[in-house]
Amino acid sequence: MQFLLPGAGLALLTVPAIVLLYFLKVRRPEVRVSTLMFWRRFVADRQANAPWQRLRLSLLLLLQLLGAFVLGVGLMRPGVVGAAGIDATTVVMIDASPSMAATDVSPSRFGAAVEKARSLAGQLQPGQEMALILLGDHAQLLAAPTGDSSLLRSALDRARLSGTAGDFAEGISLANSILSGRPGGSIILFSDGHSRPPSSPARVVAPLTYQSIGSTGENVAIETMTRSSSGSVFLRVTNYGRTTRDLKIEWRADGRLADVVPIKIDGNTTSDLTWSRLPATTQVLEAKLTPGDAFALDDTAWLVIAEPPHHSVVLVTAENGFMQKALKLRPGLDLTTVKPADYKPGRYDLVIFDGFVPAGKLPEPALLINPPPGDGPVPLGAAVDPGSVLPGDVRDPLLSHVSLKEVHIQSAATVKPPTGWRTVISAAAGPLLLVKEGEPRDALLTFDLHHSDLPLQAAFPILVQNLLDYLLPGGFENQVFAPGQPVTLIAEPDARWADVTGPDGHTTRLAPAPYPPFTATARPGVYTVRQQLSSGERLSRFVVQLQNPSISRIAPGAGPFVQPLDRPAGPLPRGTLEIWPYLVAAAIVVLVLEWLVYLTHPTRSLIPRRSRVTQPRQGTIPQRAGEVRR
Amino acid sequence: MLTAGELTLLGRLDLAYRRPQSGLYAGERRSPRSARSPEFSDFRPYVAGDDFRQIDWPAYARLEKLMLRLYVAEEEACLNVVLDTSGSMVMGEPSKWQTARRLAAALSFMGLAALDRVQVGALGGARLPPMRGRDGVSRIWTFLEGLEPAGEAGPAELRLLLWARPGITVVISDFLVEEDGNWAPPIAGLAARRQEPVLWQVLAPEEEHPSIAGDLKLVDVETERTRELTITPGLVADYQRALTAHRAELARAAQSAGGRFLNSSSADDLEAMMLAGLRAGLVRRA
Repeated sequence: MQFLLPGAGLALLTVPAIVLLYFLKVRRPEVRVSTLMFWRRFVADRQANAPWQRLRLSLLLLLQLLGAFVLGVGLMRPGVVGAAGIDATTVVMIDASPSMAATDVSPSRFGAAVEKARSLAGQLQPGQEMALILLGDHAQLLAAPTGDSSLLRSALDRARLSGTAGDFAEGISLANSILSGRPGGSIILFSDGHSRPPSSPARVVAPLTYQSIGSTGENVAIETMTRSSSGSVFLRVTNYGRTTRDLKIEWRADGRLADVVPIKIDGNTTSDLTWSRLPATTQVLEAKLTPGDAFALDDTAWLVIAEPPHHSVVLVTAENGFMQKALKLRPGLDLTTVKPADYKPGRYDLVIFDGFVPAGKLPEPALLINPPPGDGPVPLGAAVDPGSVLPGDVRDPLLSHVSLKEVHIQSAATVKPPTGWRTVISAAAGPLLLVKEGEPRDALLTFDLHHSDLPLQAAFPILVQNLLDYLLPGGFENQVFAPGQPVTLIAEPDARWADVTGPDGHTTRLAPAPYPPFTATARPGVYTVRQQLSSGERLSRFVVQLQNPSISRIAPGAGPFVQPLDRPAGPLPRGTLEIWPYLVAAAIVVLVLEWLVYLTHPTRSLIPRRSRVTQPRQGTIPQRAGEVRR
Repeated sequence: MLTAGELTLLGRLDLAYRRPQSGLYAGERRSPRSARSPEFSDFRPYVAGDDFRQIDWPAYARLEKLMLRLYVAEEEACLNVVLDTSGSMVMGEPSKWQTARRLAAALSFMGLAALDRVQVGALGGARLPPMRGRDGVSRIWTFLEGLEPAGEAGPAELRLLLWARPGITVVISDFLVEEDGNWAPPIAGLAARRQEPVLWQVLAPEEEHPSIAGDLKLVDVETERTRELTITPGLVADYQRALTAHRAELARAAQSAGGRFLNSSSADDLEAMMLAGLRAGLVRRA
């Protein structure tokens, strides 16, 4: 036991001060009353206020002395050496994966993790430091190593859940860089085991303690909601828990309850449901599972029924049936196919040139397919056998759901990506698909589709749709994005500004085109985009919701597997456990007790009343206490 | 002392005696004795010496027996009003003294209006000789206006009251005395003197629900004794419990002596006090 602030012991002077106050006479205002008979039995014990009278021991006095003593000792910050679990430098990592929003622990897994970190921050002693890392889409250093508890607490106040699973590898890398050169460090991970695991076991420079948060895996989620061309709505519900659940699906059309469908789903099974009672003029359909469960993020799904604004697309080609069919799959697309000789520039939302590039300025946005060598914005070289086809970046949204494993290309033009262009699909000989970043957007396929088996693959129409999402104005319309995922809003050609209204009613105005990515997508729901055009207003919507089975499977998982880089030698320094919070709590209890005693028995004395009564002599008439006092 | 409206109110009311009253003179109260009056009481067989005029001849025709008709005698009753004039009666807002004095005046008026024998006096102080008839109203009121509350008065003074005739003794007081005042023996003494005791307690609102708080020095207005207290809500609650117990003790003492206990607030008007009398059976509608 040691006192970290011994100077605060001066506060113990309040103990004799209280005793002194009991000696002082209180100057009381006089009040004339008809009788003292009803006050009489409370009077005697209060006469301790008379100066220099013998101090009478009362319960109130004892409680006040006890409270003052406990508070005084607490101010001196007593602590038990070696009892706290904090090392010299502790890196606390908090998993901000969406599954941490589960409320199976109060207030939520994430809230509980933050509270635990806050508690650790409160136990810091002189010489001890703590750093905070938030594991989101990318690891974020919330607070650099510091011994200031208030800084750590304010940093924890800024911690927010991420829309995607936490990146554990980045977090460990960050923690290693913090702890390198700091002996006696440790890493504490608060997680439910759903952060993205590294491809290989992470190597850590300090011992890692995994504290699992969460208690249940019971969760039912809406995995998918789509609408067929016939108008039926398809819903897939998955029970990730073990117990059978009897649920109801509430269908709401534009916010109004349209139908309630019961559903019984066994544990670890998936159930498909088709619903065909969609009201005719519905703009937004919502499906909600009731009653809810511990993880609410996946209990509701939205579907934008309203048709997106139509876009005019012209395909300039001699003959390309594959591309025509792929383009016609997209609703709201007004496709015009012209021969190269018949092409005339006009107002189109997208121009696709297949084997042809017009003279002069190229209209934008444009998709160039196998342009003649030397023409176009990106000069192409000679055609070569490109070799095996590879994705440029597997996480590129343009390759979402696109498999390139079975794709073969006979020949493609060589090209060197210019500045501002990125490679989406590449091969050994060079890029196969390039896109121009920024506004306006362009894309370039360096090979003739007829010289590859790509149009015969399922990946082709998906790739075309992804390219249209990227190139067409809008692109986000009616689309579903994960919570926290930035949404790129491609402006209409003459748009002045855009207002994005979230599910909570908050509206964000985006600057004139090109718009910066819209990042306030943490809340699931339907987001409305109003673009102000010179010809009027254009309304479109997109949806943010969680449709990720790996996140919906909320059962707390095991801790990540790590390998120690450098095992620290010798015993680790341990912190001092402060006990002043307990003393303050005890003092509060004592003071409340004293207050209650004051209210109910204000003059409760420890001295029996009988001892203050003069005992009658033998042979005399016994007198009562009141008569003796008179 | 009383307004015209209040006198009109009192004119519609009358004192209710529990037992038939036997007085010196004829009056309006039912007497235990038989006499000539419009109200039939009973029959009894004729005996030699009875007045022939009281024989019920129709009864003789039916029964062939001589029967006498008896009638209820109506005589005066005795009403004794005792007013507490101790110093504590000046307390309260409005003052208990004003209320108690008006109550004494009202009861006296009702007794005199019913041809009762009314005697008014102060507890431990001066007393008027018995009055009868409405002529006594002005004398009694003048006597009451001349009284001033001062000094101490308690149960001991009640023992000193001696009444010549049986009747009702109404004690109007706050019944607040300094320490260990026991009202039961003197009240029982009233019953022994053939009096029906009626204890009418008048307290100020402040005394029923004290609003004082904090560190105070309480001074007894009669004895000048002081007590230093820290008044808390708990202490006030204990005060009210003690007051309730005190009232229950007074009621018990009155009932065991065949009497009644009433209480009023000094904030009550005369109508409210008469309603309290109606509830307690001391007053009835004429």
